[in-house]
Amino acid sequence: MAKELLASCRDGSSIILDPRTKLAVLITISIFILGGSYEGIMQYYIIILAFIPLILLLSSGKRKASVIYIVIFGGSLCLELFILSMLPSPVNYIAVTITGILLRFAPGIVMGYLLVTDTTVSEFMDAMDKLHMPRFITMPMSVMFRFFPTVAEEWSCIGDAMKMRGIGLGYRRAGHILEYRLVPMMICSVRIGEELSAAALTRGLGGPIKRTNVCDIGFHIQDIFILFVCAGAYVAQIYVLITRG
Amino acid sequence: MNKLQGKDFINIGIFTAIYFIVIFAVASIGFIPIFIPLISVIVPLVGGIPMMLFFSKIRKFGMITVSGLLLGIIMLITGMGYWCILTGIVFGLLSDLALKACGYKNYKREILTHGLFSMWVIGAFIPIVVTRADYYQNLLPGYGEEYADTLMSYMPDWILPVLLAASFISGIAGGIIGYRIFKKHFERAGIA
Repeated sequence: MAKELLASCRDGSSIILDPRTKLAVLITISIFILGGSYEGIMQYYIIILAFIPLILLLSSGKRKASVIYIVIFGGSLCLELFILSMLPSPVNYIAVTITGILLRFAPGIVMGYLLVTDTTVSEFMDAMDKLHMPRFITMPMSVMFRFFPTVAEEWSCIGDAMKMRGIGLGYRRAGHILEYRLVPMMICSVRIGEELSAAALTRGLGGPIKRTNVCDIGFHIQDIFILFVCAGAYVAQIYVLITRG
Repeated sequence: MNKLQGKDFINIGIFTAIYFIVIFAVASIGFIPIFIPLISVIVPLVGGIPMMLFFSKIRKFGMITVSGLLLGIIMLITGMGYWCILTGIVFGLLSDLALKACGYKNYKREILTHGLFSMWVIGAFIPIVVTRADYYQNLLPGYGEEYADTLMSYMPDWILPVLLAASFISGIAGGIIGYRIFKKHFERAGIA
């Protein structure tokens, strides 16, 4: 069974954040780490920002993922800060590219992963309601995120079955490869989808009145702390821009 | 005017997910820069299969627009820029209008509609041409100078209308392929 995105129940994480906080962290990280200019104090502040996904990973008990994250982010940070300038030029060029990609993408990917794996569907819907996102966007969106792992799983199973029949890379007729894989996948997906909508209708999704939600999301002390850290990034960036003149 | 309901939203979500996975699988040839313009041909060609099945289930106005908007949002998340949201909504709305005009029953019109819908792909190319300098700077740290230079030489300014026309034509071709597969398999299996 593949890992569920936006699962229906959570599996024991100690720090529970509001989904809106996670969204804010994700946006902050992608602005400053993925697209930032790393000027002045910002190059130290991104280290603080990069700690947020790490703390969340550790608190939800994903030890292996945390270690990998520390090695990738910490390693490429050390390389960039201390070692890169000493390397000879051709090696340096490749190393700059690789560490650049790892350093910039790792925190954002981890945060996005946490957002979709560590948030339940109900929490997500509740948070989106509180952000006044219209239903016609949030409902298909949560179905879609739930559906990605299912489709991926079906895809790999059908791929295995077709490999047994010898339909794969190197098969004579390229059109068949596509047809024999897509058609069963879509038939499966449509069936699953029909079951899903039947289940949802039984729970009253089609009703005309506003739905209530058992989830009690809201900003707690940990949310406020993390939001302060994020706000600090914007302040630091403004400070850098002002001092530059 | 009948409004969209829970079942329709679930259908939108499912088909957008299938469509996205299919096009993402075929669009990953874009890692080789020479194939980037070809994406506007290949994506509509293959995307026709899920989309024609989706169109056959549509009976209400607005479903393709929402689907285009969602596609745009995922494109933004996966780093293709925000233009896809705009093109997704615009061409989704046009497709909705086209399907509404024929009363959701005419398969020839559905093929044409798929051509229309496929033109959303252009959103992924707009940033390369319109904000060329910025895009180049963004590519540099991630992909290196060589990739960025090659990509820029394959994407002259006049390529946008060409790509738009290409996506429309291959969208129609994809629609025909999708329709034939639909006839051959889905009607027989009773899921149409």
